[in-house]
Amino acid sequence: MQAFSFSSAPLEPERYHAATEDRSAGGYASFEGWVRDHNEGRTVERLEYEAFESLAIKEGERIVAEAIARFGVTRAACVHRVGSLAIGDLAVWVGVSSAHRGEAFAACRYIIDEVKHRVPIWKKEHYTDGDSGWVNCERCAAAAHDHDHDHEHEHAHASGDFASHGHEHAEATQHDYSRQIALPEVGRAGQAKLAAASVLVVGAGGLGVPVLQYLAAAGVGRIGIVDGDVVEASNLHRQPLYGIADVGRPKAVVAAERLHALNRDVRIATHEAKATAENIDALLKNYDLVVECTDNFRAKFLVSDAVVRALKPAVFASVHQYEGQVQVYRPLPHWPCLRCLWPEAPRDGIVGNCAEAGVLGPVPATLGAMQAMQVLKRLLGLDAGEAPALVTVDLLSLETRRLVARRNPECDHDDPGALAQAPAAAGPIELEFATLAEAFESGLELVDIRETWERMHDPPGLQIPTHLPLSALVNGYLQFPTEGRYLIVCAHGVRSLSVTEQLRTQGLTEVYSLRGGLAALRS
Amino acid sequence: MNRIEIQYFAVLRERAGTGRETVETSAATAADLYDELAARHDFGLPRGMLRVAVNDEFTDWSRPLAAGDRVVFIPPVAGG
Repeated sequence: MQAFSFSSAPLEPERYHAATEDRSAGGYASFEGWVRDHNEGRTVERLEYEAFESLAIKEGERIVAEAIARFGVTRAACVHRVGSLAIGDLAVWVGVSSAHRGEAFAACRYIIDEVKHRVPIWKKEHYTDGDSGWVNCERCAAAAHDHDHDHEHEHAHASGDFASHGHEHAEATQHDYSRQIALPEVGRAGQAKLAAASVLVVGAGGLGVPVLQYLAAAGVGRIGIVDGDVVEASNLHRQPLYGIADVGRPKAVVAAERLHALNRDVRIATHEAKATAENIDALLKNYDLVVECTDNFRAKFLVSDAVVRALKPAVFASVHQYEGQVQVYRPLPHWPCLRCLWPEAPRDGIVGNCAEAGVLGPVPATLGAMQAMQVLKRLLGLDAGEAPALVTVDLLSLETRRLVARRNPECDHDDPGALAQAPAAAGPIELEFATLAEAFESGLELVDIRETWERMHDPPGLQIPTHLPLSALVNGYLQFPTEGRYLIVCAHGVRSLSVTEQLRTQGLTEVYSLRGGLAALRS
Repeated sequence: MNRIEIQYFAVLRERAGTGRETVETSAATAADLYDELAARHDFGLPRGMLRVAVNDEFTDWSRPLAAGDRVVFIPPVAGG
């Protein structure tokens, strides 16, 4: 039978099934779309489908061919009704034969999603009140009703879907996975597993850049990028996915553009926001696996708690100067979470991040590439029998060390109540100001906790007289006053928040952190 | 006295000025050893913030030490 066709007569699924059956394949998946009796609150009596057939058939055939190539299934076909349909009539049928069920389901899903998205079909609904109306062709409606990735577009203003441009380039050169398919452990079945997988990458910085590049290049089917920052010139030495012309643009958006240019098979969703206690559960809901690539403990523990709650695997990494650490979490009883390893959640600023401690680009690049490899291992099922561990890497001595880690029996990470309550924060601890002058007028004493070298390039209007550098506070060379009303300020609001939390635990009540730091004021 | 091989990471390496050293020590446990070294190198990081691994396995601070043990002190790192 034809890969894609229209029928003005009632569809005959049994006949199509027989025509797409493959005795050498062990699996078969099918999707049927039926006319339902309501749409957007109105009762529908019947409807009509109309298609621009010559164009639509070409596009439909292309979609089925893509699904066969992409998921390695043996046969696939799709038939769409046109003409007048009654309630309960079959409107669209998809069938796929495959050696494996995962690919059968994935290919079937891909075909119906892409057909609804890309094939020019119009639908006229006749309502019981005698009224009727042409409903937008589905691909126009796609902008309003995200069907590609379920509820991700709850963040519609902050999200982008770059996959919808795919059909413009459908005739361009296909991505060629032959060099990884050649690995006996990967093969076509492995490639199909990658295509069917979805991965959320939290943080598109030094670690996130190689993670995103290698996962997109490998053909991971769907990738989400969470990052609320814009590209800064000081990022480029370790984040070469971005260029000097991108400075000031949102990282998530630029990264999505580059990944789309790299591999058009991959669907990218962007979330231009920081991961927070409020959004993290919704963000990772639609993904199989999470890669934690931020530069602060707050986000790392947030992600760790969230994946434990959601029973999803995650890959963590961190770097410090010439060293790094990688840890894989799997939702299995004996696997430790981040809190098992570090029961006293460390405070940001105490042990330094890249901005404060300095870093050479290849260090996060190496650790990020290691994360990408751990993701592929997990998705391909190459990690059987692996024991949980923290792997340390020293890029000066080129030594790696695998330290066997165990579940901490005192960690309550299996207790849903304990973790559900964890993100709850008490009272406002961060304050927002539009300008530094406004902050000065608040009546709080501003305290700059940045290091001396960070203050050297401050423009004249952005200077804060009171300076207590964090390194001196941590080392005990300076003491914070035990009373007073303070606004703690740093470059991005991460260190200041951790200092503020510390001061609150020491009994200072009127101490606040400048949200977003000086960077937020400048913009 | 036991001869112990020690490896430092991140901020501890910076403070110690070396990534590894071998010490002769009478410290009975990993905790005793850390306290001894923290005083010598002025680490300034409380033990509760760190983890210790002995012979490539994370372990409790109360673990007794034996001659020839390889001890690694690891602070959490956050950069990315």
